[in-house]
Amino acid sequence: MKQSKLKRNGSLSLMLVLLFSVVLSACSGGNSAGTTGSTQTGSEGTTGTTATTSGSDLIKTAQVPAGSDLEKALNGEYKGKKVTMYGPFVDADEQKFNASIKAFEDATGIDIAYEGSKEFEATINVRVNGGNAPDIADFPQPGLLETFAKAGKVVDVSTFMDADYMKKQYKQSWLDMAQMAGPDKDITAGVWARSSVKSLVWYNKKAFDEAGYTVPKTWDEMMKLTEQIAADGDPAWSIGIESGAATGWPATDWVEDIMLRTTTPENYDKWVKGELPFTDPIVKNAVEKMSQIWFNKDYVYGGRSSIATTNFGDAIAPLFTNPPKAWLHRQAGFITSFIPEGVKPEDYDWFPFPSIDAQYGTPALISGDIYAMFNDRPEVRAVMEFFTTAESLQSWIKSGGVTPPMNGTPDDWFANEQERRMSEFVQTAKTIRFDGSDLMPGSVGAGTFWKGMTDYVSGTANLDQAMQEIQAGWKK
Amino acid sequence: MRKAKAKGQKRKANWIVNLVLGIICIVWFIPTLGLLISSVRPAADILQSGWWTVFPHRQWDTVSQLKLDRDTDLRKPITVNGKTFTDDQLKAGVEDGNQRLIWENRRARTLDVQEKKWGASTNFTLQNYETVLGGKQYKITQPDGTIKTEQGSGMGRSFWNTIAVVIPSTVIPIFIASFAAYAFAWLKFRGRNIFFIVIIALLVVPLQVALIPILRDYTTLGLNGTYFGIWMAHTAFGLPLITYFMYNSISQLPKDLFESAFMDGATNFTIFSRLILPLSVPALASISIFQFLWVWNDYLVSLIFLGSQPEVQVLSMSIANLVGSRGNDWHLLTSAAFISMLTPLAVFFALQKYFVRGLLGGSVKG
Repeated sequence: MKQSKLKRNGSLSLMLVLLFSVVLSACSGGNSAGTTGSTQTGSEGTTGTTATTSGSDLIKTAQVPAGSDLEKALNGEYKGKKVTMYGPFVDADEQKFNASIKAFEDATGIDIAYEGSKEFEATINVRVNGGNAPDIADFPQPGLLETFAKAGKVVDVSTFMDADYMKKQYKQSWLDMAQMAGPDKDITAGVWARSSVKSLVWYNKKAFDEAGYTVPKTWDEMMKLTEQIAADGDPAWSIGIESGAATGWPATDWVEDIMLRTTTPENYDKWVKGELPFTDPIVKNAVEKMSQIWFNKDYVYGGRSSIATTNFGDAIAPLFTNPPKAWLHRQAGFITSFIPEGVKPEDYDWFPFPSIDAQYGTPALISGDIYAMFNDRPEVRAVMEFFTTAESLQSWIKSGGVTPPMNGTPDDWFANEQERRMSEFVQTAKTIRFDGSDLMPGSVGAGTFWKGMTDYVSGTANLDQAMQEIQAGWKK
Repeated sequence: MRKAKAKGQKRKANWIVNLVLGIICIVWFIPTLGLLISSVRPAADILQSGWWTVFPHRQWDTVSQLKLDRDTDLRKPITVNGKTFTDDQLKAGVEDGNQRLIWENRRARTLDVQEKKWGASTNFTLQNYETVLGGKQYKITQPDGTIKTEQGSGMGRSFWNTIAVVIPSTVIPIFIASFAAYAFAWLKFRGRNIFFIVIIALLVVPLQVALIPILRDYTTLGLNGTYFGIWMAHTAFGLPLITYFMYNSISQLPKDLFESAFMDGATNFTIFSRLILPLSVPALASISIFQFLWVWNDYLVSLIFLGSQPEVQVLSMSIANLVGSRGNDWHLLTSAAFISMLTPLAVFFALQKYFVRGLLGGSVKG
């Protein structure tokens, strides 16, 4: 008798649990609508019917290839489709990105759902391996994309983008950088959609002119200027490499820039691939050149000991105190977002990190974002084709803070003269090379290279020890 | 007399406990206070001076300035008022009696003569809170050249998203775990011990190992980025601990109670709802706090299963994104952290009278 009682009770609890789960799934029904799946054709996408720009005349800087998916999209064939994107832009970058693609969304009716996360690098792996890859992902580090290309997860964009068209849109060095090893042959792993120039030395233009200094054209002139500023009573350079877990990266940029100016681009490529070790005299020479400035207490604001503890973003501030506490700061173009409030664009300027050896000229060290495609659908192809045009960055270029990697940006789009010159610098540079530490495997480029430079700067390792420490990362 | 001695010892023990508690409180309280003070200071001030400077303290104040000859060579000993100093000394400041000599501007060759005075930094602002709550403003140039100010999303949206995630993620696992705990404690069925051991063993499995497999299943089921998906994820990850906790509490209830209830013909469900639940309120309250705090502060699970699309983004994620792609607005974290702390604090204080009672629920065996 007792057993049957228990049984009855058991089935009652079971029923209760079942009922509960039914209620739950009913609740969730409302929530899940519109957030799942990427192929869904919701009604949200069609809000663009009252477009201000008609599709056909949206792209002016490039010739839209006839019969391409981009052309079909502009004719409204993919209206209501949704394309998901995942990348590291958050905050202001995300706003500028969304403003830039709005005209395209309005004209084509394609909804580009962008999702930005500060943990992009860590989560993209989980996403792709978990089968939840976005249609398009934005990689700031091509090294990371290479692993996905090798595993065959990435769609080869050359299968639908004509080589002649690509040649018109990008300089050859950009196209070369998009070539990666696929599972069986080389593929074009993505399109370059945003870039940033690194070889820049920033200065306070107003104070600079008042003090009567002139912009140096060579390394020797720059050292003379540094000495002159020191004699006048100020340290010339403000340097900071603190960046939380990434502390040390600004030092790697210095080394890369000096490498490009003291050796051949071929040697640089070998170095990036790991064929030229850090312990080689060529690399050591570059680091020693850097030390001429960094380790001279009269040349660096706060002295050598403050370099490793100053945040990279705060390091520009001493240039804009009145009177300036420091005069020069080498950093990529993005640093303008760290310039203290109230400083107007006409008050500051930059010059290219000067040439050291005349035969290697003034190369441009760059970094950038490559967009790779994980799901092959016609509307995704159309969006990828759109990203090869300057129109995909229009608002962003006009708001400032980006250098277009593609050709054809009209001069009057740039927010200010400094940004236009950055773009010109990249377009005219004889040698362009991508940030080496972003191309090296993570154990070196985002590991021992950062760590070793920090140890070297803070004085816990001498040059040889530091170079051996960095080189050891290749074995991991 | 013996009694008095025992009392004395007890007092001594109390004294030690109080001291330890006091130290722990101070260690936890001071950084929190620093965070609160920083959150009402302007960003430029946070960079220049520590939060403790808002309290009155002795600081160097400039009383006069000395001007040296403009051609003074800084690399040679520098003579000021008949005394000779090196450049490094003047950089660090030379103390002489109650006065200090320090560079004001090396380029202009001016020196500050400073004296110690009482002072405090009293520059406060609510700007950080306004920005965090109302959203940042972005000036974006439109394709036609006009400048439009975009209002970024404030925390309101993600606050409600978090509530929508947290409440079911707290209630569901506690609901299921209470049933399970009752069954494990008072029902006899085959394999009871084995099931229980499996559940306890799951406590030590880190949830990270389950991320990719679960994400795959979710992709097949279409649960990614849905509230239902994240409720289930939090439920599954929380169940072992909650079941164990509730088991400890429920198994301690006196057996006679159930026996007499059975005699009177009560079903298991009646016993559970009429006897067990009311008797376990303290345990339920304290495990609710644990689970609530865990889900409220969670970043990883929501990052993987919910993502950061604005319509589902939770607070921890929107706070992380506040600082910008390159961490340029880190000063906003101070006020954002405080705002995010308010709800858990409110929940804690509302349930705290059960909390202390419930803490014992899992530990003492009668």
